[in-house]
Amino acid sequence: MEPVFLFSQFFNGLVLGCIYVLLSLGLTVVFGTLGVVNFAHGALYMLGAYAAYTISSKLQLNFLACLVLCPLIVAAIGMILEKFLISKLYKLPHYYNLLLTFGIMFIIQDAVKIIFGPEGEPFNIPELLQGAVNLGFMYYPKYRLFILVVTAGLSLGLWLFIEKTRLGAIIRAGTDNAEMADALGTNISWTFTLIFGLGAGLSGLAGVLAAPIQNVQPAMGMDILVQTFVVVIIGGMGSIAGSILAGLVIGQILTFSIVFWPPGSTTLIYAFMALVLVTRPRGFFGRVSFFE
Amino acid sequence: MRAKCLVVAFMLAAALLMVGGPAVAAKVVKVGIVSVLSGPVAVIGNGEKWAAEMAVADFEGIEGTKIELVVRDHAYNPGVANEKAKELYEKENVDVIIACPNSAAALAVAQQAKLHKKLFISTSAGTTDLIGKACNRYVFKWNYNDYMLATTVGILGAEKLGKRWYTITSDYAWGHNLLKHFTEAVESKGGKVVGNDMVALHTSDYSPYILKAMNAKPEVLALLNVGKDAVNSTKAAAEYGLKKKVTIVHALLFEPSIRGGGVATFAGDYTAAPWNWVVDNPGARDFADRYLKKTGERPHFMAAAVYSAVTQYLLAVKRAGGADTEKVIKALEGHTFKDMFANPGYVRPEDHQQVGKAYLLRVKQPDQVKGTDDYFEVVGSLPAEQAFGKPGQFGCKLNK
Repeated sequence: MEPVFLFSQFFNGLVLGCIYVLLSLGLTVVFGTLGVVNFAHGALYMLGAYAAYTISSKLQLNFLACLVLCPLIVAAIGMILEKFLISKLYKLPHYYNLLLTFGIMFIIQDAVKIIFGPEGEPFNIPELLQGAVNLGFMYYPKYRLFILVVTAGLSLGLWLFIEKTRLGAIIRAGTDNAEMADALGTNISWTFTLIFGLGAGLSGLAGVLAAPIQNVQPAMGMDILVQTFVVVIIGGMGSIAGSILAGLVIGQILTFSIVFWPPGSTTLIYAFMALVLVTRPRGFFGRVSFFE
Repeated sequence: MRAKCLVVAFMLAAALLMVGGPAVAAKVVKVGIVSVLSGPVAVIGNGEKWAAEMAVADFEGIEGTKIELVVRDHAYNPGVANEKAKELYEKENVDVIIACPNSAAALAVAQQAKLHKKLFISTSAGTTDLIGKACNRYVFKWNYNDYMLATTVGILGAEKLGKRWYTITSDYAWGHNLLKHFTEAVESKGGKVVGNDMVALHTSDYSPYILKAMNAKPEVLALLNVGKDAVNSTKAAAEYGLKKKVTIVHALLFEPSIRGGGVATFAGDYTAAPWNWVVDNPGARDFADRYLKKTGERPHFMAAAVYSAVTQYLLAVKRAGGADTEKVIKALEGHTFKDMFANPGYVRPEDHQQVGKAYLLRVKQPDQVKGTDDYFEVVGSLPAEQAFGKPGQFGCKLNK
């Protein structure tokens, strides 16, 4: 096997990993702070892709505008969902919100089916990012490099935001003890809405980035949701660093199992999850959390 | 006492005759359609329903006979299909069930047909088991089957497009079956399959497979998948520039997938089909245009096959002088016909497969597309005998 081939597969794994990272970041932040296992996350990802399709084909805006606008639209939808539905159930056991978001997922998915039809919509790579770049040792599609750069920048930004800013400090305080933060004069209710919006926006962004390389269709979120949960569990529920590492590892496992042992490609990630759970029950960087 | 009883019995009988009398005068032929009208593949089933409605409306009629259509949704679920078939044969008393996409669903309906000794014309399931180990005298197979698709792209592809092939196959019974027939067909024309990958259904990132395929340097890449897998794999191939070096061939490619993935994604690709609205059968264009007026789309070949099956069934009832199952079977077996779908078409008595010419189609470039669903051009064809193989080769021996 030529090294160039293995290198391109390695990069493929990275890009696939990036989509998982973006998806699981939103999921893990929402879980870590609000304790909500958001089953509607995949549907929000799909909404991001459909928003991109609508904005670029109907309003004729370019892809970079989509990249900014669509996550905001999805974030707004997420905040409305949190404010009017999800926040009502915080005081009840976790599985109430799990069931609620599960239902929201089906409603969003079927609404999209009714509006856009079940067969999906065409979405191609924006002209600016078509073609390949010579990296010295191999040619690689520009658009995939773009995904790598966006994800790296965003992960760094998110980490800085949570560790270094005032709002980030409030998020961390809210996670540790919501009532205490509330008593100290922080409006936790709106902070929670913002956090859910952030999670939704991240999954919307993942949807926009995935739209040109995958099929934009109503079930696209459903198809990827299970793997995203695997990433969050392996990384440690609620851990940002854990999600990034686990997303990249799962991307590589999936890709290289296809290269070396195709029949295992669908099961190896679950075997890996089982292995991690046996040796480190809280995942890579998980802390003591809600379910313990 | 006895006389009184006789009188009462006579009066009862007379009353029954009078009630029953007028009802027997108008005979009814009931055609049942079981298809998928909900969920992601409803685009197939809706087309079949519309085509059946058109076929009944267009039919010239049989004197003294009313034709009724009963449509049921099986939601692409074999269990539901089984229940609906039972309901149609027992409660609705239909004379025939037509359509039924999904091979497992069609096999279930075929069993019900045998049980109830009523007809089933399978148009949209691809499995050769219907003309093989699961065949029975009440089942007819209209339209394509998996062998015909794989053989047509295999033979014509190896002749016209290249000898070195790589295949990417959906990892379930349908894909495995296609791959087997496809490989045989390619090899029969001196071609070679240099590599294959089995891919799980609904895989969203095909890029590792595409890179593997590129690494094997084939002349042609065959995608033995359908629906969103066809879209995802073709998108990945286009993204890596594979399409500049390699020709792509699809085992099954529908207009809705092209609509969903965009013509640019599929431009220049090849596929096999028993029919497309651009073939030169008399009546094909007219049917497609009327269908467009009714539905806003042009018919896919599944819809066209249902139109043909409903029409040919009703004509067989007419020839047989009634909907009696045994007489209609006789009227269909060995029958040659010409319609917008098959010109000519022939119903093999040995295994009840309807055969006709098979086509190799190529997807047009985006700037050549004129009007709704104008995606394909015909670039080759295979005679029925070659495309459908020998009667009985799948193990069905109905009329030895």
